[in-house]
Amino acid sequence: MPGIVLLLPVVAIVVVTIHDVVRRPTLRRLALRNVTRRRGEALLVVVGSLIATAIITASFLVGDTLGASITQMGPADEYVPAPSLARLPDIAAALSSPVPGTDGTLPVVRSGATAASVHGSPRLAEPHAAMLEVDFAAARRFGGDAGATGFAGAGSTPSGVDAVVAKDLARTLHLKRGDSVDVYAFGTRLRLRVRGVVPRLGVAGLAVQDQTNSPNVFVAPGTIARLAARPTARLASVPEAFVLVSNDGGVFSGATHSAAIRQRLEARVRPVAAVSVTTTKQDLLDGAKEASKSFTQVFAGIGAFSVIAGILLLVNIFVMLADERKSELGMLRAVGMRRNQLVRAFGIEGAIYAVLAGVAGTVSGIGIGRLIVVVAQRLFNQEERFRIQLRFAVTPHALVLGLLIGLVISLITVWATSIRVGRLNVIRAIRDVPEPHVVRRRLRTMVLSGAGMAFGLLLFASGVAGKAWFGALAGPPIALFSCIPLLSAVVPRRAVASLACVGALAWAVVAFTVLPKVFDNVDIPAFVVQGVILVSAAVALLATNADLSVHLTSRLSGAGTALAARLGLAYPVARRFRTSMLLGMYALVIFTMTFLAVFAKLFGEQGPRFSREQSAGYDVLVDSNPYDPATPQVLRAQPGVASVAPLLRAFPNFTTTYRTKPMSWPLTAFDKSFLAYGQPKLRNYAARFGSERATWQAVESTPDLAIVSDFFLRRGGGPPQNQIHPGDIFSVYEPTTGRTARLTVAGVTTSDWVFNGVMVGTPWAQSFFGKDIALARTYVRVRPGAAGEEVAARLTGGLLSHGVDARTISSIVHTRLQQNEGFFTLMEGYLVLGLLIGIAGLGVVMVRAVRERRRQIGVLRAIGFPARLVRRAFLFEAVVIAVQGVVLGMVLALIVSYQLLANSKTFNDQQLGFKVPWATLAVVLVAAMVASLVAILGPATQASRIKPAVALRIAD
Amino acid sequence: MPVTGSDILDARGVVKTYRTGALEVEALRGVDLRIPRGQYLSVMGPSGNGKTTLLNCLSGLDDIDEGTVLVEGEDIHAMADSRRTEYRAQHMGFIFQTFNLIPVFTAVENVELPLLLTGVKAGEARERSHGMLDRVGLGHRTEHRPAELSGGEQQRVAVARALVAKPAIVWADEPTGNLDSQTAKPVLELLGELHAAGQTLVVVTHDAGIGAMAERMVRVQDGRIVADGRPGEI
Repeated sequence: MPGIVLLLPVVAIVVVTIHDVVRRPTLRRLALRNVTRRRGEALLVVVGSLIATAIITASFLVGDTLGASITQMGPADEYVPAPSLARLPDIAAALSSPVPGTDGTLPVVRSGATAASVHGSPRLAEPHAAMLEVDFAAARRFGGDAGATGFAGAGSTPSGVDAVVAKDLARTLHLKRGDSVDVYAFGTRLRLRVRGVVPRLGVAGLAVQDQTNSPNVFVAPGTIARLAARPTARLASVPEAFVLVSNDGGVFSGATHSAAIRQRLEARVRPVAAVSVTTTKQDLLDGAKEASKSFTQVFAGIGAFSVIAGILLLVNIFVMLADERKSELGMLRAVGMRRNQLVRAFGIEGAIYAVLAGVAGTVSGIGIGRLIVVVAQRLFNQEERFRIQLRFAVTPHALVLGLLIGLVISLITVWATSIRVGRLNVIRAIRDVPEPHVVRRRLRTMVLSGAGMAFGLLLFASGVAGKAWFGALAGPPIALFSCIPLLSAVVPRRAVASLACVGALAWAVVAFTVLPKVFDNVDIPAFVVQGVILVSAAVALLATNADLSVHLTSRLSGAGTALAARLGLAYPVARRFRTSMLLGMYALVIFTMTFLAVFAKLFGEQGPRFSREQSAGYDVLVDSNPYDPATPQVLRAQPGVASVAPLLRAFPNFTTTYRTKPMSWPLTAFDKSFLAYGQPKLRNYAARFGSERATWQAVESTPDLAIVSDFFLRRGGGPPQNQIHPGDIFSVYEPTTGRTARLTVAGVTTSDWVFNGVMVGTPWAQSFFGKDIALARTYVRVRPGAAGEEVAARLTGGLLSHGVDARTISSIVHTRLQQNEGFFTLMEGYLVLGLLIGIAGLGVVMVRAVRERRRQIGVLRAIGFPARLVRRAFLFEAVVIAVQGVVLGMVLALIVSYQLLANSKTFNDQQLGFKVPWATLAVVLVAAMVASLVAILGPATQASRIKPAVALRIAD
Repeated sequence: MPVTGSDILDARGVVKTYRTGALEVEALRGVDLRIPRGQYLSVMGPSGNGKTTLLNCLSGLDDIDEGTVLVEGEDIHAMADSRRTEYRAQHMGFIFQTFNLIPVFTAVENVELPLLLTGVKAGEARERSHGMLDRVGLGHRTEHRPAELSGGEQQRVAVARALVAKPAIVWADEPTGNLDSQTAKPVLELLGELHAAGQTLVVVTHDAGIGAMAERMVRVQDGRIVADGRPGEI
């Protein structure tokens, strides 16, 4: 609905513009001639306007890229698990005649394994490899498009010791055709010969659980069953057996009917086994869509600050254009052009700029999106387990949407500004006399003022009642600003306006603290609105009281630099509107950069604390191949190991109130040994347990209790939108048995850096999952004096056959924090675009100011103002605006972040403390200053070179 | 032309050509002019014949292509731009047709600019500026900005600015061109008073009445001085 409301004026604008272009030659000619009149400046306008489109397009492209990278899929639409390896033929037989809507099935057997190169020193290993058995000929027929299965050129099904490896594994182990490869699983080593390499595509690129790559080894049928039957496989997880189902239709369209087909499949296999069918492709598509949306929202949310800065620039440019052409516009009105025709002529001109900027912005957006993807790829690569290969996707959808949104923003801004510009007094315009500052108390203004106040208050009341953050946050400032005209009738305007601004500022700072429940689950847009309110109120406060700085300027009465400073201060004070626009642009972007910098610093410094809170008194986290796990006995026997806590792991599906469709998530079961030296920190827990330790102990021994993190069942980034609390209930599903259980949240952890997921007691986990949960993770405490890093390195190197991947908990936390910090930096880098808009805006304003003040510069030079002082005055003016904007943004961000960290519940649970990132702020300040100076050096030098006689001759 | 004292300005063979692409316009074609100290000189002539160009070139606002201009014995066109600018601040005052006040400064701030540029201390500059505004009859308008003043008031502020640093010579280019006769009168009277007090004045005008108020008049036509003498004689 809001979209349609927004779209209506846009459609009206487009219709009027097209009509005028076609049917009103005078307006068209006027607009076209003005566009081509000063081409350099037209270019500046386009460059200034294109950034909004570029940012929006880039945000969409980043989201689409993530989605495309996740959805590198093949023909398999559903996954029908078999209760055991032995029951796979029964399931396959049940599905042998096609279920309506499907066009093929493919039985697969899978187990985890460790793969290692045979030659070379050191040997290369992949502890998270997968061993798979599949009939290659059937696989090629599966889904009807051999090219989409990954097996098009793979030959026949491997036999004997032959194996076909996926490209991911070949790359990790440097394998090529004819090489040997060792595979460890079920307590056995199997030496295989590489017969070929298949791409990460379709069935060949099958990935499991949390993995985003496919280190697959395809072996001869029967191999896994033979290995699993050996006595050495006693502690190993059981092999997975399942049937993949392909739906009618292509790779993507096939998933459309997954929900209905799932029911048919479950009904078909029910006589054989009560298994739960997973709609793999639909889940993957949903996940990709969600992750894509989440990433788009994060980047668009952060980019919104830059987009708003771009809008302010556009307004400023058009107001300055109108100022410059004031006499001409007055003449046009005098000779009979109506006000609406003037607005429409500006509208056509603006539309030309908007279209040019839209196209250029879309192209630039591709470049910016690509840059973000390159940086994001590096950040993703820091984490070995969740490494994802980003495939930059330029989708027509992203380009068209980015272009359209950019156009809509530009057109609305241009027309709104043109309507304001059109309200000129003909005589004053012709004589180029400034508009007098008259405060009129018209009935209409008074009525609108009252209506605004009532609207603001209603918005606030409805926001608080409905726990809707927007109304609660924006209502009071709307009411406060609306009351200015009404109260100005009885109280001096300066006092009313100042109080309204201070009130709006104060509200935006304390809103999160005063109404914690309303702002409990806010997302990035809330912070955007908060930033806009803060900056608007602060800038309006400065503008209202700008004339007070005259006292300051009058003191700057010396010669030389002081005189330049006085001149440099006088203009920003006198031109409040354009100064406010510039201040707003700088302040808004710097506000966000500072905000991010504060949090980046705080999180970055929390490494030791997070490690301590996560570790439960242990030092090293050992992940091993669940099909050939490193047992506690094996680990205890290693040098440097003092004690161990074995953890069982599974990847069942879950649902909760905010995630009603089953979603796979890790589950980790712990026993008493895990709590031997402490316990991971809890953010909160059910009151009945009394303490954190009691909560962990209760979960260990009581069925149906669990501990989760607030990241539970969430995809993507940004602040949590749905939080889980102690006492909440969620469901867990075991696909191979079809069993379901309901678990109650006993406590919520402060963080889950090692991704344990849902934590439950071992006794309950074994009773629920049976053989489907296996030893896969162990916490290791090192002996006093032993270095955790050394012990971890020895375990990884020495227990290669068990697929051991040992890392100290502190190093895991450190890596994740680095990754987080990297994303913060990426966001800050993204915001630099907004800063560029501000700096470009300052440059544009100064270029125009030089032209506008040409005559004054001529006079100053005539009466003896040296050229260097003219340049210095312009530099000073720009620096004053930039410093004001930067300092304003920084101070506001520091106040808000302090308030959020110290007094608000939003982050208070994390107990992050508050520290000012002085170094980052200094870099931002200096960089902004230097860039601003560079941007206006050209106009300032140009001003200093103005020949007095030339300026006066032209002017007079 | 009779000389009534030592020359404050001595211009010889001044040539000025404007070039716009291939187009060349010779605005001054070898002008010779001497102005004695304390003289009130009016420069007259039809529009586009080089009056303002002559003022710009003689005052050092514009460069010349040939010739020399000595002001108080110093060749101002031999000076570097920065030195010439400094020289203007110390020795010259300017009044323009469109007043050309700095819109963001008050009247007194506009007037004190030349003083501050010549290194006069801030307090003294302010005091002298107030005095000068009093003298031009604007003592009650010192804190007003140009937009808040009438055309005549603005021009009187410009006169005050031109005189405040006690320049050796004041250049006025159509000083009443933007004023009606009523408003122009006090400005012209002010100029007359200045001359009476010994101020050297050069006024460019196309108005014969204003030109006649000077003690000497030169007529410029096609970039040359075609007549030079007392107003009644030309």
